[in-house]
Amino acid sequence: MIRVNDLHDVPWREGMTVQDVLDHLKYTYALITVSIGGDVIEPEHYADTPVPDGCAMTVFHLAHGG
Amino acid sequence: MAPTKIDITINDKKITVLEDSMLIKAVIGAGIALPTLCYHKDLTPNGTCRLCMCEIEIKGKRRLVTACNYPVRQEMTVWTNSERVQKHRKVLAQMYLGRWPNVPVIQDVARRCGVTDGSAFASDLTDPNPKACILCGHCVKACDEFIQERILDFAGRGILRHLTMPFGESDPHCIGCTSCAHVCPTGAIQIIDDTNHPVDPDLIRKHGMKVNAEMATLDKNQCCMREVGTANIVEVMDRYDLLPVHNYKFGQHPDTYKVDSQVLRKKYFTQNNPDGCWFGCSMSCAKAVDGFELKTGPYKGHRVTVDGPEYETVGACTNMGCFDPDFIVEFNFYCDTYGIDIISAGTGMAFVMECFEAGVITTADTGGLELKFGACAEVLECLHQMSRGEGFGVEVGQGVRFLKEKWIREGRGDARFIRDIGMEVKGLEYSEYVPKESLAQQAGYAMAVKGPQHDEAWLIFMDMVNNQIPSFEDKAEALYYFPLWRTWFGLHGLCKIVWNDVAPADNKKYAPQLAAKIPEHVDNYFKFYEGMTGEKLDEEKMLAQSARVHNLQRLMSVLFGFGTRAGDTPPYRSLGPVTEEEYLSRAERYDGQLQSVLGLDPAKMTLDEKRAALRAHRESQYQKVMDAAYARRGWSQDGIPTKARLRELGIDLPELLALAAD
Amino acid sequence: MTSPISMNQLETISAGVHAEQARYRGMLMVCNGTGCVAAKGFEIKKILNDRLAEHGLQDQWLVVGTGCNGFCAVGPIVVVQPEGIFYQKLREKDVETLVVEHLVGGKPVEKLMHRNPVTGAINPKMEDIPFFTKQQLVALRNKGLIDPENLDHYIARGGYTALRRVITENQPEDVIAEITRSGLRGRGGGGFPAGVKWASGRKAMEKRGCEIYVVCNADEGDPGAFMDRSIIESDPYAVIEGMTIGAFAVGASEGFIYIRKEYPLALVRLNRALDAARAAGLLGDRIFGTDFSFDIRIHRGAGAFVCGESSALMASMAGRAGEPRAKYVHNVEYGFRDKPTVLNNVETWANVPPILEKGAKWFAGMGTGDVKDNPWNGSSGTKVFSLVGKVRNTGLVEVPMGITLREIIEDVGGGVPDGRTFKAVQTGGPSGGCIPASHLDMPVDFDSLTGLGSMMGSGGMIVMDDRTCMVDVARYFVDFLVDESCGKCTPCREGLYALSRILRRICDGNGVEGDLDMLEAICDTVRETSLCQLGGSAPNPVLSTLKFFRDEYEAHIREKRCPAGVCKPLISYRILEPACTGCGACVKPCPTAAITGERKKTHVIDAQKCIRCGICFEVCKFHAVEVK
Repeated sequence: MIRVNDLHDVPWREGMTVQDVLDHLKYTYALITVSIGGDVIEPEHYADTPVPDGCAMTVFHLAHGG
Repeated sequence: MAPTKIDITINDKKITVLEDSMLIKAVIGAGIALPTLCYHKDLTPNGTCRLCMCEIEIKGKRRLVTACNYPVRQEMTVWTNSERVQKHRKVLAQMYLGRWPNVPVIQDVARRCGVTDGSAFASDLTDPNPKACILCGHCVKACDEFIQERILDFAGRGILRHLTMPFGESDPHCIGCTSCAHVCPTGAIQIIDDTNHPVDPDLIRKHGMKVNAEMATLDKNQCCMREVGTANIVEVMDRYDLLPVHNYKFGQHPDTYKVDSQVLRKKYFTQNNPDGCWFGCSMSCAKAVDGFELKTGPYKGHRVTVDGPEYETVGACTNMGCFDPDFIVEFNFYCDTYGIDIISAGTGMAFVMECFEAGVITTADTGGLELKFGACAEVLECLHQMSRGEGFGVEVGQGVRFLKEKWIREGRGDARFIRDIGMEVKGLEYSEYVPKESLAQQAGYAMAVKGPQHDEAWLIFMDMVNNQIPSFEDKAEALYYFPLWRTWFGLHGLCKIVWNDVAPADNKKYAPQLAAKIPEHVDNYFKFYEGMTGEKLDEEKMLAQSARVHNLQRLMSVLFGFGTRAGDTPPYRSLGPVTEEEYLSRAERYDGQLQSVLGLDPAKMTLDEKRAALRAHRESQYQKVMDAAYARRGWSQDGIPTKARLRELGIDLPELLALAAD
Repeated sequence: MTSPISMNQLETISAGVHAEQARYRGMLMVCNGTGCVAAKGFEIKKILNDRLAEHGLQDQWLVVGTGCNGFCAVGPIVVVQPEGIFYQKLREKDVETLVVEHLVGGKPVEKLMHRNPVTGAINPKMEDIPFFTKQQLVALRNKGLIDPENLDHYIARGGYTALRRVITENQPEDVIAEITRSGLRGRGGGGFPAGVKWASGRKAMEKRGCEIYVVCNADEGDPGAFMDRSIIESDPYAVIEGMTIGAFAVGASEGFIYIRKEYPLALVRLNRALDAARAAGLLGDRIFGTDFSFDIRIHRGAGAFVCGESSALMASMAGRAGEPRAKYVHNVEYGFRDKPTVLNNVETWANVPPILEKGAKWFAGMGTGDVKDNPWNGSSGTKVFSLVGKVRNTGLVEVPMGITLREIIEDVGGGVPDGRTFKAVQTGGPSGGCIPASHLDMPVDFDSLTGLGSMMGSGGMIVMDDRTCMVDVARYFVDFLVDESCGKCTPCREGLYALSRILRRICDGNGVEGDLDMLEAICDTVRETSLCQLGGSAPNPVLSTLKFFRDEYEAHIREKRCPAGVCKPLISYRILEPACTGCGACVKPCPTAAITGERKKTHVIDAQKCIRCGICFEVCKFHAVEVK
């Protein structure tokens, strides 16, 4: 299980990447910052960064409305 | 889809780059410097000086390419300084030196190419001016890409090429943003005058240019403000369940794709230029639709230009259940033309529609208009009535609070239901975001001095998606900082959009609490202030400046009878699900909360019980967040600024103290 | 034609045209190409009609104004069909003779016919004239045979059957494959295989899921070149049909023709042809009643040479300055409006309908190499050239690829006139190279010309005789390119100007040792580092003349002598004693009155007054004026 933003539990599976987690949560907003254990993952690495089981991931959305 | 990665070798060093990235980025990334006179990191490459030329080999074939604009698309070997490259760079450097022998950047680059003498290329055109224009094109690109004015360009063919404004005259459309001078490498463009006499124009310029560069380079991959304006978030709000649909019952709708920003971009927007609302603004979020043929009303059949639509315009329409883009543009036009606020009109109409569908009112009240959700034609008719001062339009035009009180007074339907779904606070209709699942935003809306408009605080993502302000104290802190910050730049005539609708590429380096403030952009505003006034500003000073005004505004609200705890209390629709249908639409979320937060077992409860339990919980939570926010703001538990706070802020005037709490 | 025509009407229309023409005894094809029009071609046509009416022959002879006949050197031209009697250099007063003697009297007029310049023998018929015998017409298949403004005429010559077949019988991919197999390479100069380009465009369109455009480049800017203009003037529907087929193949619904404003006649004909095609339902929505829709808009260029470069052309179409961009990403991916764009030139498009009508194999059977599996592997088909300069038969010619330069210049062109000798031919426009006599047996195809340091270009061919100074030629073309360079990139802007200055000083007799090395070094950098192919090919005139005529450069620099007698500061005129008859013919034309002498006695040129204009040299019938 992966804990995202200390809010959602996403079931873990073998080979899961950051992109898979984002897809699962439908996080499509442009201005997001993903970090795992404090390390920022750059967008170009979403698809090849594996997510370890049991990790805490933060997906920070930068938005303040219109 | 993940971008493809490509391995390339640069001077024997292996590097991995993204497909279609420019070769120069890889070269710079490898720590190798290339000589160039036309490349600028914030502008699209020109490829005109040819000095950054590298020799590459792909599948055994060698060729020369300019690194600045060569997109890497396959594996290759790169030599940045081969004999062939050096030979040509020398000749090119001589050409430059021959024409402009005394320009320092040329001398410098030529020296790096091993050339100090360009006399072989000296001619009648040799210009000894050390500040000569060297035709690098930075200014032309800056005028186009930074502020989209396209006033500067080259004229004259070949050797006669020179920089000019249209027809060789000083163009009145030049807004004097000075971007061109800022990017000029030789000083050929000089700024003669700073009309409003800032103390330190260079400081303002330096930070303005940072914004320009971010807009030119980052916006297209971030919010696309330049392309679609604020409408970019129509689809975002829908996806995150925040787009108001059917008077805030729901947060998304399957038909949103019909009215999202892509539709507007492809079929409607014709203008994409800065509208000058903020002098020199490079974001140009304002959009317009030209040649739109109206189908109703007094201008029926006319082709008109419509200023918009922006996000709130679309949100107001989805709130009414109207997903026809033609309707949205027409509604936009007539609201503007009649001088009617689109948000109030949309939210008000959505309330009327829900009342109509619930049987609170009938066609007998509406003068025959079937005002169901999605009734585009009826909405427009009602709007035209409003403008003419006729029929049902007269009533709707007086707003949600008026209608609520009238219909309750007349004993129509369930008074509590009408109160719950009438989306207004302090008499102002809600703007177009669903705050239901974000406690902080519920307060952000309802506690705003003028009523539920998010220009004090928009905390939905911080709270509901990022979960970065989980405690009441965290929420109270956000409800303290953001309203003051937003009030501050409003006070200085500065726009909010370049604060947070584009973010610096490295904003990620900050921890979320700080990142949410976008420290570098806050600093830009501080520097604008400092450059203008000469006075340094920091967060503390800024908050102090703003708090004086914010508290004064609140006291005026107290004076008018709105600025109290009761006045800050929202309708229940803003806090949670009013109807069964609404509860069921998010049953999983609500049941989960009953279980995890309240320790109840939803399986053993009736729907009514569940709704009642959730409502009691949410209403009490809201009271707590108000308590915390009032405390942080230095206000009484009735929401009134205290005398101590006024003294602290230095606004303890007798008239104000008379209104203040003890 | 006012109503859309259906597919099966083509044959009916064709039969109608033939039946109509059969009502006459014959047709008088009056050349109304720009060259003949300048020589009163329109007036000839009008007078011809008037005279026919006067003689009551208007129902027996049909007068047809055609596009360029090709043999521009001898215009205005009238060809009497069906016999093919070729009348040349007609003056207005000759028309009456033609009508009375030939049409009324039945006796063709010999004095208005073409004569062999060497033997003086008369060539009554067009097919007898050597200028025409080696030509093979594909792109120009309808030249001189139809009224270019008459859609029915085009249909009567088999027009639109290719489009009909393609739309009804082929998948777009089949069309692309057929063009690829034909080996058709871009006639605008690049020689890029058209089928490969179309396939890339279609692929990009499908990948991006966006619009794609087809564009016709009619921005012919080379001095002395008029291939594209003539094709449009003589057969505009061929281009339109070709583009329509191309649009079907790549999936486009919008096409553009970028044509220079200096081509008013071509523009008029093109506009009329587009209108007629639209009215006939051959352009616009649902062509031939199918789901395929396509229309063409004209964009008029302002006459910049650089706008012939595809990316500059597209910038110009988009309303920006006509400047090229780096084409590391090709136009087929990101072209006009940043959408995939397939651009071919006029001649390429005109070749498309016959290829689809007669098959790739037929087309590949002409020209050089075996292109059926690889279009790069040869140059198939024919090529149109505008043959100009010091050659007898200047005009427009279409010859099979692989023909030698010698055949074009000597057989088709009739060789160098006025007893002079051939020195060089420049192919490929201002940035082509000059090829000397020693290479005249080189086959003309894309790869051979490039190998020689020249290029096919769009098909300009300028013949030079021994009175041409090759340094001066290089200077002339470099100066042209200095004017026409857009100035965007440094090597082209600064480098060409430097070349021009060095060449000028050599021509002025101020060249110094080291200049040739300098020229070569600059050429090398301009060629290798310029942003577009205008710059990339600009050094060709310098490099090729340096390669083949280096001794001329050296004579200028070391001996301060212009061997061809062209560069004014380096030459002087002198009258030779025994040859001068004292006729005085040179005295009056001399603009500075530098020539004096008594009648019947040898004249003298005052070197102080002489401005070396060369008029005396030209007018002297006794070769008594010497230039050194």
